[in-house]
Amino acid sequence: MDFRLTDDQRMLQDAARDFMKTEARSDQITIWYEQKTFHLPEIWEKAAGLGWLGMRLPEAYGGAGMGAFDCGVVFEELGRGPLPGAYFSSGVLAAEILLAGAPEALKQRLLPAIGDGSAIVVPALADPSNRFGAESVTTRLEKAGAGFVLEGSKRYVQDGGAATHFLVAARRDDGRIALACIARNAPGVSVCHQQGFLIGASEVRFERAAVDPADVFGDWNTVEDALTRALPILGAFITGALQEISEFTNAYTSERIVYGQPIGRYQRVQDNCIEILNHLDATRWITWETLWKLDTGQDARAAARQCKAVASEGYFQGCNQSHMVFAGPGTDYRHPLMAHSVLAHALYPYLGSPLHNKRAMMDIRFPRKV
Amino acid sequence: MDFNLQADTPEIAAFRKEVSDWLDANMKEGEHIRLTGIWSTVHDDAEYLFRRRLAEKLGRKGWLFPTYAKEHGGGGLTTAHRNVLEVELDRRGLPLGNVFYTRAELVVPAVTMFGTDEQKREFLPPMMRGDVAVWQLLTEPHGGSDIATCRTRAIREGDDYVINGQKIMVGHHTKADWLMVLTNTAPEGKRHENLSWFYIPADLPGISYTHLNLMMGVKNAVYLDNVRVPAKYLVGGENNGWKVASAYLVLEQGGGGSLGESTLLRNVVARCEEVQPDGTRLIDDPDVRDQLADMMLDVDTERLWGMRNYWHYNEKTPHRYAGPQYFFFQRMVRLRNAERLQKMLGYDALVPEERYDELGDFEYNVRYGPGMMHGGGTLHTDRIIISRCLGLGRNVEGKRQAKG
Ligand SMILES: Cc1cc2nc3c(=O)[nH]c(=O)nc-3n(C[C@H](O)[C@H](O)[C@H](O)COP(=O)(O)OP(=O)(O)OC[C@H]3O[C@@H](n4cnc5c(N)ncnc54)[C@H](O)[C@@H]3O)c2cc1C
Repeated sequence: MDFRLTDDQRMLQDAARDFMKTEARSDQITIWYEQKTFHLPEIWEKAAGLGWLGMRLPEAYGGAGMGAFDCGVVFEELGRGPLPGAYFSSGVLAAEILLAGAPEALKQRLLPAIGDGSAIVVPALADPSNRFGAESVTTRLEKAGAGFVLEGSKRYVQDGGAATHFLVAARRDDGRIALACIARNAPGVSVCHQQGFLIGASEVRFERAAVDPADVFGDWNTVEDALTRALPILGAFITGALQEISEFTNAYTSERIVYGQPIGRYQRVQDNCIEILNHLDATRWITWETLWKLDTGQDARAAARQCKAVASEGYFQGCNQSHMVFAGPGTDYRHPLMAHSVLAHALYPYLGSPLHNKRAMMDIRFPRKV
Repeated sequence: MDFNLQADTPEIAAFRKEVSDWLDANMKEGEHIRLTGIWSTVHDDAEYLFRRRLAEKLGRKGWLFPTYAKEHGGGGLTTAHRNVLEVELDRRGLPLGNVFYTRAELVVPAVTMFGTDEQKREFLPPMMRGDVAVWQLLTEPHGGSDIATCRTRAIREGDDYVINGQKIMVGHHTKADWLMVLTNTAPEGKRHENLSWFYIPADLPGISYTHLNLMMGVKNAVYLDNVRVPAKYLVGGENNGWKVASAYLVLEQGGGGSLGESTLLRNVVARCEEVQPDGTRLIDDPDVRDQLADMMLDVDTERLWGMRNYWHYNEKTPHRYAGPQYFFFQRMVRLRNAERLQKMLGYDALVPEERYDELGDFEYNVRYGPGMMHGGGTLHTDRIIISRCLGLGRNVEGKRQAKG
């Protein structure tokens, strides 16, 4: 048992902190979220220069072959922002899906491009608004001559607006699921930003969009494998977000004087701060343990789903508790809490709601007999 | 980062084998005994004798207080050795800190920190060897949250103190050999500077006991009626009792962490996987699965924070709020699990089952959840402590200075 970061991890952490301080200050982030700026090309390129896109990619594909925990250390700092962009969806999830099942030629073409930032590959998995998992895939991958065409619509694709490519989960003629890689500017693909209390989500439509058969691969298990390795990184991002919320909320309880005393003296307010703290540490520790499991080659399938469930629930509830403390001022889009509040809502259903992921965890640990 | 509890060096692996073999051999006679909780309504002589004998044997090897100095009855071993003992005992249904019914776990550090050399020589070995059962007497009938307002008086008379007062909600269903008593030695003195901490034999004339029948087990009212106590039993000096008590309350309030796995969860899962008379299994019921999932999430957080605290405590790298946070959360989880048990099992959750040790029994947990909420402070006072640790509403000056 040892809960220290290594020296290298500390250096990574410092580098990520410096990066956030210079590139993405809190007041700046607040404005991006207010204006729904979900992709910042300049920052994206700098992050690519630091090797933070596709951090875990093997060297053969231009990556640094970093450990899961190392990657988590960086994502925790990005989450503190929270930095908008497809860092997770392209740099982690898409990279893992491709690694898990793409044909070699496709890997060669896309993975190094993910790493250097020139390609932004975004998974488009579930079709409907309120479900996730294999059942949620209804977009069709129809045979057409020597190739395939995609037909269907993915209602909410996180980071879809920034994508250069999509990794689309779709059903073949026989009902089996496959993944198809398609360029965003391919004929028949249209992307429409979703407006509302979310950020970065787009509806992506496929109308007889042609796919090269060489770019079709895998099945839903490919996605599940990738999720096992990716979800804990999202957990790290949310850990950072909750850390930030906890810190600025606690600080406010000493600054804000109401009825002649700092609000932190009120037990109701203290309860809010403690709820945030508990969500933070629940998220942090299941995330850390799961990352460690990944790095030591253990079965992390159930833990990864658990991690997403705990993190998303915690982010959502943590924001609400913080709203109770900040009251009126915290509802202003110019308040740092609002960036988190918007993102916590957007990430709640992303890759499965907490309930979905808890059930997925149970199905892995205790397969159902009926 | 390493979460492995069993990444043993060759030396530790050998120690694990030694401990494991030893426990297998020495716990054999207890195989058919149903282990009860730290406070229990069940009193079983066979269990009592078995656990006391086991503690004495462990104590003789220095294994009850493995990391303490050998000269005082400890094991002179490392934290890694302690991990082994903790995990191996837990696996067999007993926590290291409670092999039998005593709170020596709290008193030993207090005496080690505040006792004179003579007191250490006299008091520590019997506790560490598992020869004596110790109770903690803090709470008084007028209210336990505010222990600093202590009404039990200790008045100096020559070489003795004379103690008068009443304590409540203390001890176990089995008898005490020694008591740690918080008293007031200067009623007019400044708050927190008027208390004194005594470590006294439990059978001094003037001490009497009454059992209290409580939802989670038996505790006691203790009456101290002109109890004459030689001054050598005062630990930490007169009017210094608050400091002594504070030092170990950190431990009672979760600061030491734990490496245990949840027996309750293990039993619930096994129970849900059994085929019922109608041929179905609870674990295939979607509602039960949802309850179980929530229970697992909570229990896992508790397990991880237990490890975190254990590690910080043993590495001597203090953590700002980890103790009270864990303590609070642990009790909330017990309460939520009590409710979940009823949701999953219905009436079965209200009837004890002999096949489970008490701590892993459903009926026990249903009343343990609400009953155990207040030991060592209430959920409300826990949160006051966490808030202090976080400095909520208290950093006004610091902030102003920081802003210049
Ligand atoms: C299982 C168990 C084991 C125990 N073991 C021991 C033991 O070994 N030794 C021992 O000495 N005692 C022991 N106790 C007693 C325990 O320490 C007290 O019950 C506890 O400190 C609370 O005191 P009280 O019950 O008198 O409640 P009170 O102090 O009367 O509190 C009543 C209510 O007021 C609330 N309250 C009080 N102060 C505040 C505040 N400042 N802000 C907000 N709310 C407040 C409390 O939270 C509670 O809801 C044990 C209790 C239990 C349940």
